[in-house]
Amino acid sequence: MQITKLWLTDFRSYEELELPLDLGLTAIVGANGIGKTNLLEALGVLATLKSFRGAPTDSMVRREAAFAVVRAEGIRDDREVLIEVELGRRRTRAQVNRQRLKRTRDLLGALRLTVFAPDDLALLKAGPSVRREYLDDLLVAIDPSVDAALRELERVLKQRNALLRQSHGRLDEAAAMTLDVWDAKLAAAGDAVTKRREQLVDELLPVVSEAYEHLAGEEVPVGAVYQRSWPEASMAEALVVSRDGDVRRGVSTVGPHRDELVITLNGLASRTEASQGEQRTLALALRLAGHRMVSSVLGEPPLLLLDDVLSELDDDRARALLTNLPPGQTVITSATDLPALAVPDRLFRFDDSGHPVAGE
Amino acid sequence: MSVYAKPVEVLIDELGRLPGIGPKSAQRIAFHLLKADKIDAQRLSDAVVAMKEKVSFCDRCFNVAEGEECTICSDIQRDQHVLCVVEEPKDIAAIEKTGAFRGIYHVLLGAMNPLEGIGPDQLKIRELALRVAGENITEVILCTNPNLEGETTAAFIASKILAPFELKVTRLASGLPVGGDLEYADELTLGRALEGRNTVS
Repeated sequence: MQITKLWLTDFRSYEELELPLDLGLTAIVGANGIGKTNLLEALGVLATLKSFRGAPTDSMVRREAAFAVVRAEGIRDDREVLIEVELGRRRTRAQVNRQRLKRTRDLLGALRLTVFAPDDLALLKAGPSVRREYLDDLLVAIDPSVDAALRELERVLKQRNALLRQSHGRLDEAAAMTLDVWDAKLAAAGDAVTKRREQLVDELLPVVSEAYEHLAGEEVPVGAVYQRSWPEASMAEALVVSRDGDVRRGVSTVGPHRDELVITLNGLASRTEASQGEQRTLALALRLAGHRMVSSVLGEPPLLLLDDVLSELDDDRARALLTNLPPGQTVITSATDLPALAVPDRLFRFDDSGHPVAGE
Repeated sequence: MSVYAKPVEVLIDELGRLPGIGPKSAQRIAFHLLKADKIDAQRLSDAVVAMKEKVSFCDRCFNVAEGEECTICSDIQRDQHVLCVVEEPKDIAAIEKTGAFRGIYHVLLGAMNPLEGIGPDQLKIRELALRVAGENITEVILCTNPNLEGETTAAFIASKILAPFELKVTRLASGLPVGGDLEYADELTLGRALEGRNTVS
């Protein structure tokens, strides 16, 4: 789905705002702190029903108002679609073409989204859980049924860990029998998730390399290896081997929840060896690669939101990004004008009150 | 600090400990009883006491029973060779309503759930093993709930308890509600229904 127009009512600082978007590149330029990211956040709400910044729903409603409304007109399969999300302080409701959805979450999937924000540097700097989440989000975007597998895994782990804690470091025969059954569940759920993640990494690697090479303007070997937290062939075997240790420590020490996605640059670990600039470029390459994969699987590119990327990149890289954006609709925010050669299809300059003064 | 008279506070606390009743509901029920006729309140308290005195769990299958045996176990017309294992007595009521099952039951009184401290020892699983060993049972149908805890309980019973016995062990199929529309089915249920599809001859 592509968005042609966005309306906000009582969303954050905006009492009323109407913003037509181009089907190509729309740029929103204005000083820091005037609410540019709020606009991207509103677009994000239409796709995921929540803030991509992790803000609670309550904080997206303008202080004096009871609820906020985000409304967008768009095109899907050559037809006009109107999506409306009402963010109440207690609940969120959604309408498509003026029909209220019975289950609000049925809206998910109507609008696909890729967001790149300054926080994404965490993809390389932070611990393994951030990279696992990156892979899992991508898997769910490509195949929504993975979501159920992930939730099952999470639940099995909770139950198994509770059982391990209750054994207080020693396993009697009855507890061992019970653990056998939970192990079988964890093995099934764990193998399923691991295989999906490994397959994804294999498919993703050439796409990340290409995106990185393009942004950096030079050929640098990028590596991505999915590193399991166990060396055995199957999770069932791994659980047999790790059982004593698990019982002693009272936690599950092997499984997809302990795996890592290792990303290397020139053969060196990017988390510790890459420079800040290389990490920023790599983070962007990861997002763009995910974007391309989802585009090719779904047959339609997601809406690409680039939040304040230009301040993150040097001029050459910024130009490389903007002159070769992936096909589809893109909205970018920036505190400064876009570099020459990168001409947006539509440009909004925002004044200090956070309202567009000119649409070009 | 108590806002209300002590007896009211006590009642609100007691009601609040019941499943599905939060503090607000407990308060509403307490004040409803306070305003009600004494005889209505008496009837409720009598019903609670009478139930606890007269009704307990069946010695054989752990269904609710007035006396030592429940009405199903004492019904000799029922097929004594087919045993249906359920989590709670209310599941028996649900299966009985179908009229499609004429065998006997075994109630586990829960499902394996380590987070709530429930393992095989807290359930009537040992009693199930004794029944299967002592009674002439040819088929066990595992009718635990189709969620993670229910599935794990069924797997435990099948692999750890029933494996040594020579009998048919079956699991309840999962699929779509009859009379429903496909478009309203959730993805997981529809996926399971596809996996368990039947051949149309």
